Amino acid sequence: MNAEQPTIPRIWVFVEQQEHQVHPVSWELLGAAKRLSADLPGSVVEAVLLGHQVADLAPQAFQYGASRVYLIDHPVLEIYRNMPYAVAVSQLVTEYRPEIFLIGATTLGRDLAGSIATRVGTGLTADCTELSIDPANHILAATRPTFGGNLMATILCRRHRPQMATVRPRVLPMPEPVPDATGEVVHVPFDMREEDVPVKRLRLIRAEEQPNIEYADVIVAGGRGVGGPEGFALLQELADALGGMVAASRPVVDAGWMDASRQVGQTGKTVRPKLYIAAGISGAVQHRVGMSGADVILAINTDPNAPIFQIATLGIVGDLYEVIPALIREVKGQSYDGQAHL
Amino acid sequence: MNGDNPMHAVVAIKQVPDTSNVRIDPETGTLIREGVPAIVNPYDIHAVEAAVQLKERLGGGKVTVITMGPPKAAEALLECVEQGADRAILITDRKFGGADTLATSYVLARAIEVINAELPVDIIFFGKQAIDGDTAQVGPGVATRLNIPLITYAVAIEEFDLAARRAVVHRRVEQGIEVLETTLPVLLTVEKEIAPVRHAPLPRLIAAARYKPEVWTATAPVPFDPQQIGLKGSPTVVGKAYTPSPRSGGEVISVAALGLDAVVARAMAVIEQAHVRNLQPGTGVVS
Amino acid sequence: MTGRLTFDAIVVGAGPAGVAAALTMARGGLNVIIIERGRFAGAKNLFGGVFYTHALADVLPDYWERKPPFERPVTEQGYWMLSPDSVIRVMHKSERYQKEPADAYTVLRARFDPWFAEQAVAAGALLITRTTVTQLLKDERGRVIGVDTDRPEGKVYAPVVIIAEGVNNLLTQQAGLIASDLPPKYVALAVKQYINLPAKELQARFGLSGPREGVAIDVFGDATLGLPGTGFIYTDQSGISIGVGMLLDEFVTHRLRPYEVLERFKNHPVVRPYLEGGEVREYGAHLIPEMGYDRMPKLAGDGVMVAGDAAGMVDALHREGTNLAITAGKIAGETALAAHQAGDFSAAFLSRYRQSLEGTFVLQDMKQYRRMTDFLESSPQFMGTYVNLLNEAALRYFTAHGIPKRTMEHEILKMVRERRSFTGVAWDMLKLMRAMRG
Ligand SMILES: Cc1cc2nc3c(=O)[nH]c(=O)nc-3n(C[C@H](O)[C@H](O)[C@H](O)COP(=O)(O)OP(=O)(O)OC[C@H]3O[C@@H](n4cnc5c(N)ncnc54)[C@H](O)[C@@H]3O)c2cc1C
Ligand SMILES: Cc1cc2nc3c(=O)[nH]c(=O)nc-3n(C[C@H](O)[C@H](O)[C@H](O)COP(=O)(O)OP(=O)(O)OC[C@H]3O[C@@H](n4cnc5c(N)ncnc54)[C@H](O)[C@@H]3O)c2cc1C
Ligand SMILES: Nc1ncnc2c1ncn2[C@@H]1O[C@H](COP(=O)(O)O)[C@@H](O)[C@H]1O
Repeated sequence: MNAEQPTIPRIWVFVEQQEHQVHPVSWELLGAAKRLSADLPGSVVEAVLLGHQVADLAPQAFQYGASRVYLIDHPVLEIYRNMPYAVAVSQLVTEYRPEIFLIGATTLGRDLAGSIATRVGTGLTADCTELSIDPANHILAATRPTFGGNLMATILCRRHRPQMATVRPRVLPMPEPVPDATGEVVHVPFDMREEDVPVKRLRLIRAEEQPNIEYADVIVAGGRGVGGPEGFALLQELADALGGMVAASRPVVDAGWMDASRQVGQTGKTVRPKLYIAAGISGAVQHRVGMSGADVILAINTDPNAPIFQIATLGIVGDLYEVIPALIREVKGQSYDGQAHL
Repeated sequence: MNGDNPMHAVVAIKQVPDTSNVRIDPETGTLIREGVPAIVNPYDIHAVEAAVQLKERLGGGKVTVITMGPPKAAEALLECVEQGADRAILITDRKFGGADTLATSYVLARAIEVINAELPVDIIFFGKQAIDGDTAQVGPGVATRLNIPLITYAVAIEEFDLAARRAVVHRRVEQGIEVLETTLPVLLTVEKEIAPVRHAPLPRLIAAARYKPEVWTATAPVPFDPQQIGLKGSPTVVGKAYTPSPRSGGEVISVAALGLDAVVARAMAVIEQAHVRNLQPGTGVVS
Repeated sequence: MTGRLTFDAIVVGAGPAGVAAALTMARGGLNVIIIERGRFAGAKNLFGGVFYTHALADVLPDYWERKPPFERPVTEQGYWMLSPDSVIRVMHKSERYQKEPADAYTVLRARFDPWFAEQAVAAGALLITRTTVTQLLKDERGRVIGVDTDRPEGKVYAPVVIIAEGVNNLLTQQAGLIASDLPPKYVALAVKQYINLPAKELQARFGLSGPREGVAIDVFGDATLGLPGTGFIYTDQSGISIGVGMLLDEFVTHRLRPYEVLERFKNHPVVRPYLEGGEVREYGAHLIPEMGYDRMPKLAGDGVMVAGDAAGMVDALHREGTNLAITAGKIAGETALAAHQAGDFSAAFLSRYRQSLEGTFVLQDMKQYRRMTDFLESSPQFMGTYVNLLNEAALRYFTAHGIPKRTMEHEILKMVRERRSFTGVAWDMLKLMRAMRG
C-alpha cells in the first residue's frame, strides 16, 4: 500500500509518551536525528507516536525537528504494554522501511526496542552514547560503553534495516524547539482487540516523586570523601544557593547516605548539567561516564592525584569541609549584593 | 504447554567477566581478560533463585538452566545447580561465536522450544541485563520469538496459578511499581529484588560437584539454523573499540598553596562561566 | 535428616598440603572431600614465588606431562645486600640449572593451586569451594568425627580429618593440637605485589635470554629498613613478584606499615629501574608461621592430623614452605590410608604420621634451623649494620681515592670497629653458625 519510493532514507525517532507526558529523551533524539540527517544525503527526520488520544502531542515533535509524525491512536495503546506496542511499531517499520530508528534507552524504550528488532529481524545497538554517520558507507555508527565503561565500541549494522539504536537520556544535548514548525501527521490504522492482549495492568503503585537529577542544570555531587550522611546537608546548602540538586557517587548510595535515584554514573544516571561540582569524589571511570558531559566541572578533593582532576575545568586540592562553606558564603553573599534572584 | 504437569521453569543465564576487575591494557587499549574472574551474571543468579523459590512455593516442579557460551561457562551452570536448578544445558560450539543479541535470542528461543516439547514450560526467567554488554535485549528478543508475554524489570511474583494459567507480576517502572496480570507461559526479566540469593546448602554443592551439564552443539541434539547463529546470524558488527578518551582537564590549584580566599575566587569565576547564577532553586525537579 | 553426609576422609583447605593429602588418598581409593573457603582453590592464596618440584614429583610422578602452569624455571638465584644507596649482589648462575623439569620454578598461586587441585579431582577427590569449615565435630570421647561448615545442612562426617588450613590455625587449636594463637614473635607478615611487564622487557632488564630462564633474588638490609626480614624479587612469565616480609613483632615495635615498607623497597634506587612502567595487578598480604621446630603443634590426635603451614612447617631461611606442605600432606594421606586398612583412627595409630615425617627433609630441616628465628631477632645487626658495612667497604674498595691501599684497609677496619666491637662480631659469627647447625 505504500506508494512512496522506499529510497528516501528515513530517520525515525520513537516519541515516548506516558500519561500524556513526552519523555524529554525523545526530543534529544530528534536533535540527534537532525544532525545525522545532515550527513545522510536526501534523508528526512520523522517521528513515531503511539497512544490513545495523543494527537495533540504531534506539534511538539514538529517543533523539535520532525517533518512528519506517524500516529497510531488506539485504546489498546492507552498504557504501555510490550505486545501491542511492539506489534504496532513493527507494522509501521515493515510498511515504511526507515533507514535508522532511534529509541530512548528508558525502561519503556529498552522493553520495546528489543522486541521490535526481533520482529523485523534487524540489529539493535543498546544504550549508545554517541551517534554519527560513517562517511565511507553512509551507515549509522553507534558508539556505546562496554565492560563496565572501560571500553567504547562502535557498532555497525551493515545490511539489515532499519539500523536501530537506543540512547540514554541526557547523553545527547537537548535541541532548541522551533516554535512555529509544522509538519504532516500520518494517521495509521491499527487493528487489535483488548481480548488479544495477554497482559493487563491491574494497578500502578506510584512511588514517591523521585528527584530527577538527570535534568538538573546545577549538580553538587558528593562521594565517599564526604564521610557520612551529615555532610550532605552542607552540599544541599550549596546546591540550594546555586539552585541545583544534590547527587552522589555509588559508595554513597551503597552506604545508604543518599537515595539510589541520586546516583550518577554507569549504574546510575547520566547527567549533563551546566555546572557539576564534585566534592570528595575520586573520579572513577564508572562515575565519569555519567557526568563528563557537564559543561563545567569543579572538583574538590584532598588528593592531588585524584583522577577527577583529569577532567575538571577547575580542580581544587583541599578539604571540602573548608572549601564548600567558603563557597556557600561567597555564593550567598554575592546574591545579596545585587543579584535579585535569591 | 499445559497445567497438568508440575511447574517447569527455564532460566537463561550468562557467564560474564567480573567487570569490577576488568582492566585495559594502556598500550594496546584492549581488554585484559586474563586473570579476570568469571561469574554468573549477577541478575541471572537472582533469576535462578526466583525460579527455585517459585518451585518451593508451589510444592514442586522443575528448574532447567541454559546458557550459550564457551565450554568454561559450564562452571556458571554448576553454580546454578548448587542454587537449586535441576537440569543444566550448555549450548556451546565455535559456530555460535560472535553472536549478537539477535543471534543469541534465536539460539535460546530455539532451545527453549525443544525443552518445552519434552516438558511444557510455564515460566521463563532472564536477568534484567548482562553486565558485560548491558543491552537488556536478549530477554525481550526471546519472548518475541516464542510469541509469549514479556514482563521486564520484574521485582515480585504476587500470584502464580498453574491451573488457571495466570500470574500476577510486579515490575519496576519510572512511575513506581506496575502490577500486571499475565497469561502463562510468560517470560520475565528480573531485577535483583525478585529473590535474595540464599546460601546454598552443602548437599547441593556436593550434588553440583558431581553433576555434568548436558552439552548441546550447533548440530546435535538440536540442529540450529546455520544462517541464524554466530556471526552469520548477527546483523551488528563491532566497527572499532577504543578506550574512552578522557575529557581534558583544566587547571588544578590548591588551598595549601594559594590560600582559601584565592581558591574560592577562582571557583566563583568558574561558576560564573557556567552561567548558572540566575537559576531558580529547584530547577531540574521534573514533577 | 536422611543419612549423614559421610566420606572416608575430609581435607580442610585446598592449598598444597591439603591437595597433596587428598590426591594421595583418592589414588589409594578413598572417598575424599576437600573443603576450601575461596571461590576456587588458590583464590586467596599468596606466596613469594619459588616452587620446588621435588615434593611434587613425589606425589605426582607424571606432573610434567600434566602441564603445570609454572611461570619460569629459576636459572639464576642469589642475594642482594642493600644499603640505602647501593647493593652487593651475590648471584649464582649455572649451566646445570638449564634442564627441565627444573628443580625450582616461579609460580603464581592463583594459577598453580587450581591446577594442582584439578589433579586431585581427576584422581576422584570431591572439591567443594566457597565453603568455610567452622568447626570440628567430635564424639562424646573427644575424637574428631567430622566438620561443620558455614553452609546450611553443612555437617560432613569421616573417620579422619586432615587439617591443612594454613597459617590461621583455628581448627588446629580446636583439635587441641596447639595451645593458642601464634605469638607475633613467631609469625612473619609478608606483603607482595605482582607487577605486570611484557616478557621481552622483563628479560632485557634481568638479562634473561628467553622465557625458559628466570631469577630469584632474596634481598637483605635496606629492603626491610635494616631490620630482620627479607625482601624478594622473582621473575614470572610476564611480570615480577616483589615483596617484603618481617616478623609481626618488628612491624609493631617499629610502627611500620607493611605496604609502606614495600613502597619504600620498590622505590629504592637500585630496585626502581626494574619495575618502571609495570602495572600492579595483584596486591596481598599473608602470614608465615615461624614458630620453628620446638613450637610446632602435635601433628595428630584421635581422628585428626595437621599438615603444612597450620603445623608450622616452614623453612624460613630457605623460603621453603610449599614443598614441606606437599610432602607432609602426602604422608598424612598415606597414614590415613593405613588407618583405613587397620580400621584404627586413634591418636596412637596416627602418630605414625610424625614418625614417617621425621625421616624426611621436612622435620630434619626444621630441626636444623630450630634457632633461626630467635637468633635473627636477638641479632638485628645482621640485617642492618653488617649489610651497610659491606656496602661501605665495597665502595671504598672499588673507588680510587689516591689513598694507599694499606690505609684504606685500616679505614675499613676502623669503620667496622666503630659500629660493632670485634668481640661482638666474633660472637655474632658463632651464634650464626650455631643457628645454622641447629
Ligand atoms: C560495574 C561497575 C559500575 C559502577 N557504577 C558506578 C556508578 O554508576 N557511579 C559511581 O559513582 N560509581 C560506580 N562504580 C564505582 C566506581 O568504580 C568507584 O568505586 C566510585 O565511583 C568511587 O566513589 P567515590 O569517588 O565517592 O569514592 P572514593 O574512590 O573512595 O573517593 C573518595 C575521594 O574523596 C577524597 N576525600 C576524602 N576526604 C575528603 C575531604 N575532606 N575533602 C575532599 N576530598 C576528600 C579522597 O581523596 C578520594 O579521592 C561502579 C563500579 C563498577 C565496577
Ligand atoms: C609472602 C610469602 C612468600 C613465600 N614464599 C615461598 C616460596 O618462595 N616458596 C615456598 O615453597 N613457600 C613460600 N611460602 C610459604 C608457602 O606459601 C606456604 O608454606 C604454603 O602455602 C603452605 O601450604 P598450606 O597448604 O599448608 O597452606 P595454604 O597454602 O595457606 O592453604 C590453606 C588453604 O586452606 C584454606 N582454608 C583455611 N581455613 C579454612 C577453613 N576453615 N575452611 C576451608 N578452607 C580453609 C585457605 O583458603 C587455603 O586455600 C611463602 C609464604 C608467604 C606468605
Ligand atoms: N549467551 C547467553 N546465554 C544464556 N542467556 C543469556 C545469554 N546472553 C544473555 N542472556 C540472558 O539475557 C539477559 C540479558 O542479557 P543482555 O541482553 O545481553 O543484557 C541475561 O541476564 C541472561 O539472562
